Amino acid sequence: MTFSDEVLMAYVDGELDAATRAALEAAMAQDAALAQRIAAERALRARLRAAFEPVLDEPVPAHLMHLARTAPEQRDTSTVVPLRRGEVRRHPWREGLALAASLVAGVLLGHWVLRGGGLGPVVTRDGQMVARGPLAEALTGQLAARQPAGAAVRIGISFRSSSGQYCRTFSVRAPELSGLACRAGGQWQVQVLTRAEAAAAAPGHYREAASSMPPAVVAAVSAEIAGSPLDARAEAAARRRGWER
Amino acid sequence: MSASPGDLRDQVVAMLPRLRRFARTLARDPHDADDLVQIAIERGLAHAGQLRAGSSVAAWLFGILRNAWIDEHRSRRHREVLGLPEGADETVGDPTTGSPDELLCVQEALGRLPDEQRLAVSLVLIEGLSYKEAAAVMNVPIGTLTSRLARGRETLQTLLSEGPGGRS
Repeated sequence: MTFSDEVLMAYVDGELDAATRAALEAAMAQDAALAQRIAAERALRARLRAAFEPVLDEPVPAHLMHLARTAPEQRDTSTVVPLRRGEVRRHPWREGLALAASLVAGVLLGHWVLRGGGLGPVVTRDGQMVARGPLAEALTGQLAARQPAGAAVRIGISFRSSSGQYCRTFSVRAPELSGLACRAGGQWQVQVLTRAEAAAAAPGHYREAASSMPPAVVAAVSAEIAGSPLDARAEAAARRRGWER
Repeated sequence: MSASPGDLRDQVVAMLPRLRRFARTLARDPHDADDLVQIAIERGLAHAGQLRAGSSVAAWLFGILRNAWIDEHRSRRHREVLGLPEGADETVGDPTTGSPDELLCVQEALGRLPDEQRLAVSLVLIEGLSYKEAAAVMNVPIGTLTSRLARGRETLQTLLSEGPGGRS
């Protein structure tokens, strides 16, 4: 059986149906030249990915982060929003301010988590922060696409980590905290927990900005994420599977 | 997407590292690449109402960035001399990246592909999108995507087999 280049590429790209894939893999075991062609395609893919991989680890420039948090969001398609590139205001100092605030919060948080003695949304178990109570329930049951109005816990984005775990960002009220939790060993392990940014980072008329992630959470997401955030359908499917791989 | 406004904003923030990587596969200069990301953020949020329910925010943002690149790229073509942007010698990667030579080598090879092949290679091989998602970003049928991908790969195999020292 012979295979076209397009079939080989589809194999390397993970796009073949199971039957063709099995036939190709059987043929590869017999045919060194075929295995060689596939290895070359794999090597190209790996080389391209590796070359650009370091870009993901670069810190996102403060002006882009600020813009993503505060640029006007227009849901009404009938209104035309003028787009002029020169208009973007850059306030990198605001990032610094927010970061400083979250570092200060980190010190306070230690007290808060420990003082809770099992009453707060997070407890420490074997040196690992673990979500409990309403936070754990929301992480397991709440979909970002359908959050009850006034819910105590707000889910941000959900994604798969590079080690294959499901992770979700969250924010809770009183105290205002944001964080990232990943599902492991049947519990939600909290990777980062920081004070949610209050209005400091955005003028009052950007009402969505308060729900955006603090820099410490963004940094944790960037470090963990593999691929894209889950869309609404993938999020619902992951919940059905109990957030297990 | 039925997500509330805050969720979209969070997804845009979470996508920033990947948008920056995608932009770098299109624009060699890191600052030009970040300008594309900036346009994508502004346009994405300004046209949030166009995001269809259940569609992928990632693919949608890639599509916006692609359109921004095509606009920019075409308007600055006249300043380019066959794949060599002005000030090409200033663009020796970012010092924080692991191996600027390898990045530059790969970027140069990608830069020799026709735009549509380059987009196909970038979306599927580097960004890891499925054929269906990449075809949607490029607004073409899957068959068109795969044939561009095949031709792009073939050219890259030749260009890159010359090795990291192969650029002249």
